[in-house]
Amino acid sequence: MNSWTRRPAFGAAVAGALALGTLAGCSSSSNASSVSGGSGDVTLVVYSSQGYDSAVTKAFTKATGIPVSLDDDSTGPLLAKVGAERNNPQWGLLWVDGDTAFATLDKEGQLLDYNPGVTLTSAGETLVPSDHAYSPVSTTAVPALIYNAAKVTAVPKTWQDLLGAAYKDKVGMNDPSQSGPTYPLIAGLMNELGGESGGVAAGEKYLSELKANGLQVHPTNGDTLHALETGQIDYGLIQSSAAAGEVATAKKSANYDPKVVYLGTTTLLPGVIGIDKGASAKVQQEAEKFVQYVLSAAGQAVMQTGDPTGDSLYWPIVPGIEPVKDIGTMPATYQRIDPSYWGPLETQVNTYFDENIK
Amino acid sequence: MTVTTLVAPATARTRAVAGWARKAPFALFWLLVAAILLLPILLFLLVAFSPRLFDQGTQWFALSSFQGAFQGPMLQGIADTLLIGVVTAALSAIVGFAVAWIVQRTRVPGRRLWSGCMFALLLVPSYLIALGWERLLEPSGVLDLLHVPDSVARGLLFGPVGVIGVLTVKGIPFAYLAISAGLRGLGEEFEAAVRVHGGGRWSVTRTVAALLAPAIWSSLAIVFAESISDFGVASTLANDAHFPVATFELYSAVDNFPVQFPVAAAVGWILLAMAGLALLAQHAALRNRSYRVLGGRARPARRRELSRPGTIGTLAAMVLLFMLCLGVPTFGAISASLMTGLGTLEGGANFSFGNYTRALTSPALYQPLEYSALLATITATVTVLIGLVVARLLTSRHGRRSARMLDLLLITAVALPGIVFAAGYIFTYNLPIVNDAGIHLYMTTTLLVLAYIATSLPAASRVLFGSVGQVQESLREASRVHGSNAAGSWLRVMLPLLARPLLSAWSLTFGGTLLELPVSQLLYPPNDPTVSVGIERALSTYDYAGGTAMEVIAVLAALAVIGLVWGIFQLVAPAGWRRLGRTS
Repeated sequence: MNSWTRRPAFGAAVAGALALGTLAGCSSSSNASSVSGGSGDVTLVVYSSQGYDSAVTKAFTKATGIPVSLDDDSTGPLLAKVGAERNNPQWGLLWVDGDTAFATLDKEGQLLDYNPGVTLTSAGETLVPSDHAYSPVSTTAVPALIYNAAKVTAVPKTWQDLLGAAYKDKVGMNDPSQSGPTYPLIAGLMNELGGESGGVAAGEKYLSELKANGLQVHPTNGDTLHALETGQIDYGLIQSSAAAGEVATAKKSANYDPKVVYLGTTTLLPGVIGIDKGASAKVQQEAEKFVQYVLSAAGQAVMQTGDPTGDSLYWPIVPGIEPVKDIGTMPATYQRIDPSYWGPLETQVNTYFDENIK
Repeated sequence: MTVTTLVAPATARTRAVAGWARKAPFALFWLLVAAILLLPILLFLLVAFSPRLFDQGTQWFALSSFQGAFQGPMLQGIADTLLIGVVTAALSAIVGFAVAWIVQRTRVPGRRLWSGCMFALLLVPSYLIALGWERLLEPSGVLDLLHVPDSVARGLLFGPVGVIGVLTVKGIPFAYLAISAGLRGLGEEFEAAVRVHGGGRWSVTRTVAALLAPAIWSSLAIVFAESISDFGVASTLANDAHFPVATFELYSAVDNFPVQFPVAAAVGWILLAMAGLALLAQHAALRNRSYRVLGGRARPARRRELSRPGTIGTLAAMVLLFMLCLGVPTFGAISASLMTGLGTLEGGANFSFGNYTRALTSPALYQPLEYSALLATITATVTVLIGLVVARLLTSRHGRRSARMLDLLLITAVALPGIVFAAGYIFTYNLPIVNDAGIHLYMTTTLLVLAYIATSLPAASRVLFGSVGQVQESLREASRVHGSNAAGSWLRVMLPLLARPLLSAWSLTFGGTLLELPVSQLLYPPNDPTVSVGIERALSTYDYAGGTAMEVIAVLAALAVIGLVWGIFQLVAPAGWRRLGRTS
């Protein structure tokens, strides 16, 4: 009896599943090997976390005719996808902030060496890896120290200043396990305090002292800025583009007047593009054209207007391109950390932070 | 003789075909279950033992990923998660039972409103509830600005009490739906029998609770599994409170570079073991008992008239409950969506409706909403159909082994956080061997919808489980005796009885899918972001106001669609359908 009476429900379920397949089959799908109509170009799959990527990919397609499929997401989920796809990568090109992940991908043999042959500024040249496994196309810096000038007068100049009584319980930063730019910030701090040989120990000691002075840890740039606006902290250590965006957009009042300074030696955090070594030759050629386009004056112009209060607030590394007004001048004293050294330490440092500083 | 020999093979063939036709839907059903649940989960969990399998390490067999799971914050996170799951499940069941009883069995005013509030609560993402409470109690938050002393409450919120409280709020509607579905089918004759035999209120409550055991255990299991796999609270309140939970540790393993899928899979096994314990408890409690109380002679229960003080007291309790559950997060979301900037509540706040105008006029913001609404409609419809089959299998007296396997699989799907589940889909459907077989589902809408179905199926089938389990076989047998065929008897007997629970399950799935984030994030087809991905994008680029405005619009859209569906049901469904399952 049961088998009879179940049948209509089963039939309905199966019919539903088939209908689903039909309906969903009508929707878009794409992968790196799909061919677009007539032109011979294949679709270039771009994984990107940049706020201006939608504008740039559209402009690129308009300029070259090459169709692009854009997977726009935060850096964490994108790198998780890249990791999950390791035995069958679907991305043609990866574009995120920070080069530590690229150094690891390069070590794993996942990146195509490519030299775009474009002259860069002196800061830009320091960011180029010797094997050209990836291409820096812009830069921001970590940390920018944003503070509420309406409430405090003390302005720190060095990391050591933040350990003073004037800053007790007033400093906030992001959690490196949730905020992409924060591990490079900590790695930069370690590199500055003790170099590659003694940096980890010196950095851990400094962070524990900062915690003893009341450091508050918030998940991401946005949360640290929210804490600054609501008076939970008066100083925030965040990425330069987020700080510049806040200064440009926040409504100033008697209680709130955000300003930005840079501490000692600031660490450059480049916007980086890598090309999938396993992609077809055609896709790789298109990805190379994409890199060329992004480094051209036309590409940079789209980057500078695509996300005016967010990621567009970067310092160009192509000579002759002026930064947008709101970002201000690039810090004179900066460093580039070696991603092949600091990249593999990310899990160890984040675990330390998780267990001792948060 | 010749005729017989000619006919016999034909009859055998007919029987064989009929046999195949009977078995084919079963085979197809299990094929679908294997494709959307079993394989992705299994392949993901295998990575814990064999990292090399998907190029996630060098070893074909290793147990090192489990070492990390049983030390330091990870071990603490596992213990915290177990505590959260047990306490949240118990509290949600108690409150859900009380609300279901009040709404179903008393004449308390505003019953439809309370029932509607439960659906609204179901649609509110857990992190939004956490955000609302944080906004109220954070330093320089609303209570601080109003000079209300809140340091004790703040201390409680940013700790285990706050985490359990918010997760209980999220669990209450699940418990309510499961228990009220069971309560609706439970006629008054059992209560009358207790009273006839001299039983008081307490005896009645005990008897009713015992008869509702499948629904109550169902609610305990689902809330437990939902709580241990929740990430919304884990990443906000629990993280801010430095209260480590297993899901957050698991997400950290996946969301940080280098991605550690083997460690994430090891934590997945631990969550799975916890869910398995919940299921064992459920089976031990319900074994060898029948709860089929809905038959031809069942009489709908009457609503009880409360005394005046009783009405006032009950009403006050309901208002307070929904103020705490819905009012606070609504306030948090609306205040954030009306502000420019990042939401300071001090002098500089600039309130405006501009964010809503922006969300409604920008294609980048409203197109994802349309796309997600379409996907949620397809998902809800298919999930309810499959969920019905699942509920039937789970409550059937036959095939207990397959039912147990299915139940385990479903609870596993709930207990595994979404992002892990999504990674399992990538492992499975991006395998070169799968592509070589001509299956190219990865990065398509089809796979996204299949994943949505897989993640919403457990909750939907559990909503149906209580009602389907109550329907006695005799009803359909009587219909068949009176000449109905299988389909006819199902449509005339079962559908009227199950129409309301089916609509409940549809509404639950629609609402849950519309704002689903973790699966969408990893599986959305390039160029077609879902609304949750759009919101996440806005939030991550510091457009808090725009993102929250989209969130409010999406929740309102979900409520509007669900309201419309129930409105159509009220207008179009035969009077009997609407009356069945209601109390007089």
